[in-house]
Amino acid sequence: MRASEQDGGRVSACASCLRRSWLLAQLNTRLNYGCENRGALMELLALGDEELMQAIGGRRRVDLKARYAQFDTGEMRQVDGVEALCRHDRRYPRALSGAGAPSMLNVAGGLERLGELTSGPVVAIAGSRRASDYGIEIAKSLGRGLAASGVSVTSGLADGISAAAHAGALEIQGGTLAVIAGGVDTGCPVKRRSLYERIRRRGCALAELPCGSPAQRWGHPASERIVAELASLTVLVEAEETAYELFGARLALALGRTVAVVPGRVTSPLSRGPHALLIGGAHLVRGPADVLELLCEIGAPELQGIPEARSQLEPRLQSVLEKVGAGKDTPDKLTASHEDAAEVLLALTELELMGLLGRGDGGRYVPRDPLAVGWAASSRVV
Amino acid sequence: MLARAHTFTIDGLHSRHVTVEVDIRRGLPAFAIVGLVDASVREARERVQAAILNSGYEFPARRITANLAPGDVPKAGPGLDLALACALLAASGQLPPERLESHALFGELALDGEVKLCRGTLAVAQATRRAGLKALILAGAGAGEASLVEGLDVAAVTRLSSAVRVLSGGPADLPGERGALQRSTRATGKRGSASAGPDLDEVRGQHHAVHAIVIAAAGGHNSLLSGPPGTGKTMLAQRVASILPALSRSEAIEVTRIHGIAGLRTSGLLDSRPFRAPHHSITAAGLVGGAQRGWVGEVVLAHNGVLFLDELSEFSRPTLEALRQPLEDGRVAIVRARGSAVYPTRFMLIAATNPCPCGYAGDHDRCGCSERDLERHRRRLSGPLLDRIDLLVQFARDRTHDLNAAPLMSSKVAREAVALARERQAARLKQEGLTVNAHMDVRALRKHVRLDEKGDAMLRDAREQGMLSARGAHRALRVARTIADLNASGRVRPVDVGSAIALRADAGFAASRAT
Repeated sequence: MRASEQDGGRVSACASCLRRSWLLAQLNTRLNYGCENRGALMELLALGDEELMQAIGGRRRVDLKARYAQFDTGEMRQVDGVEALCRHDRRYPRALSGAGAPSMLNVAGGLERLGELTSGPVVAIAGSRRASDYGIEIAKSLGRGLAASGVSVTSGLADGISAAAHAGALEIQGGTLAVIAGGVDTGCPVKRRSLYERIRRRGCALAELPCGSPAQRWGHPASERIVAELASLTVLVEAEETAYELFGARLALALGRTVAVVPGRVTSPLSRGPHALLIGGAHLVRGPADVLELLCEIGAPELQGIPEARSQLEPRLQSVLEKVGAGKDTPDKLTASHEDAAEVLLALTELELMGLLGRGDGGRYVPRDPLAVGWAASSRVV
Repeated sequence: MLARAHTFTIDGLHSRHVTVEVDIRRGLPAFAIVGLVDASVREARERVQAAILNSGYEFPARRITANLAPGDVPKAGPGLDLALACALLAASGQLPPERLESHALFGELALDGEVKLCRGTLAVAQATRRAGLKALILAGAGAGEASLVEGLDVAAVTRLSSAVRVLSGGPADLPGERGALQRSTRATGKRGSASAGPDLDEVRGQHHAVHAIVIAAAGGHNSLLSGPPGTGKTMLAQRVASILPALSRSEAIEVTRIHGIAGLRTSGLLDSRPFRAPHHSITAAGLVGGAQRGWVGEVVLAHNGVLFLDELSEFSRPTLEALRQPLEDGRVAIVRARGSAVYPTRFMLIAATNPCPCGYAGDHDRCGCSERDLERHRRRLSGPLLDRIDLLVQFARDRTHDLNAAPLMSSKVAREAVALARERQAARLKQEGLTVNAHMDVRALRKHVRLDEKGDAMLRDAREQGMLSARGAHRALRVARTIADLNASGRVRPVDVGSAIALRADAGFAASRAT
């Protein structure tokens, strides 16, 4: 019972899958109410339509069932540039086949591009919303490195690590998949709007709720489940050791996906999450190269390497760069005497102009990966 | 009988000439004062009456009318008491009226006949000179300040009876030793601000910040002090005044006049640069001032000195917005229902803030701010204000700092370096009529700041990578010029440009988080 192609082929989903999306939007309040218990939420989302209505339909159950029976695909809002895709379509991402996977997705950015981005390896980058500048820089660097070698980066367009991963991939004009917690056109918070627009231009935004729906509380864990399921590998960058922050990574483990973590300082609360997973047997990665290696191990097709961009640095710059990497990240710590203060500032500025250093919280210097250099130079020409 | 006397009332930063006319005629005993007077002048009736009687003179039991001309100038303040009393004595024949034509009078009367000092002495003395009057009679404490005006005889009196004596041709209580006074004040002006205030050598560690604040002082650059709590932001800011060069004589007179009108200082020439540090609860009107009665705001009081705003992010938005014009134009034009006024506001702004709401941004174990907190904090500071700040003085939280370590430099050493750098700037900027690099406009920048190839390339790269805006690039050039001046370098070297870019103002606020 495939729906007829409406309005220039924007709908490639069958009526029953569209109805599922409609039903979830009807149950928003109920799902939001219970979404603190994320395990229960996952179980609910794995239920069939009838059971779902039975379980949380509440007093409106009868009315809801009646409207459900009379559902017409015309009720779904159509938005320019957004296509609906259901699991009965062959273009639907094959990775989304688990029991709890969404039955349909609204896709912004084109089905063709979605196909391209999901045909190769997909890596999810997860982490805290309250990340440190170190975590932000690492997430950006992973995004850049993986996108440069043809890996699709996916995440949930949330604050902190997630947004940084998307931004990193976009910095080198790479494709990235963002799963949104509301409607694909309206679910993005205003402050992420410019990032969202760039994602739509170069990658894809996906959402399971119908168009026009604002972001939902339950949408966040639900989108994390789609992210975890889309990716063959989930990399956790920074997270506190709480069920909330580790949800994405634990879900990926439960789905049988590989999980890798980036280590941090043992004293930082933001490192406890990754370190806990590390003790539990997760892989350790130090950067995009390690991720690529891990992808090969778990059976990804041949990948192009990360372009080597760094030329030989002058020794004085090299030594400053190494000192910053070792934690001497303020001019004060780098300056041995008053006389060389100006020279240190000059070296820091030169490294910053080369893209090898960034400015983090409180004006500290943060090392960036060399990849940014080559691409920054080449993208300036574009 | 009719008698006239000359006095002055304060209006904004100027004093306006007021002629007091007293007429005594037969009728029911009364004492009326007319001529757009405010409450403090109306109360003069009681003070004048009591002072005259207590000084042993007679208060005529007749109909007395005092008119303060011109009638359209609002008169305020108790400084008109002395002129009123003397005009009244002249009108009742107790005082020869001749000298009242050439002498101005300024002072408040106590009930026992004592003459007290009023604010705005220097402004009044200058106006007396401009009005073509020969001498000024005023309270003794103001003699030093008034005698800063060349070519004016100052007669200091302590009582109403002394004023009557001076007006009858007798000597003043304190001879107006103008020459001696001027010599001494000039000497203090030269000696400069070698005061016993806080000294730079009390700052331990934080060499980078000390280095940056010396650059700021040398070029008169507005700066932002950023760093975790307890790292010494306020401490360093309080020491800025100690490394600034002393006021020039004309600057000192201007500052003394302003502070005199505000009632902050009542004698002698101010010799150190003003340092104003208002609390963050200040209102916009408190910061810029009002048009009425010389009520000047903090930006005006900081003229030729330092305005220090601690905890910048706590100031209300309208207050910070009100800083725009004073910072940009070096003056503030205030228009209120009662009148308008233009005040000079050439000050160096020093603002201090924490890098994030909790203060520990960058300290991974301690900062608990969410991305949203950081964003909000940055937005509070950015925009119009951050755009006018030339350099960032970054404080690091460093546990290894030894509190007994040797200080980077003392105020004396820093002051000498700053003075030398300022001399170079003043010599170069003479044609433009400027004294410090911070005030260079784009044309002056183009003329005086030439970069070599490497410096030029660095600046271009920084602009292309979005590290500097167009305005930011100009700020970096000004700072680079100052660093070169501090190093006695005629041309601006790449190392100066590099340092200036590293010290740019917006670098401290989660720049890496912008996606």
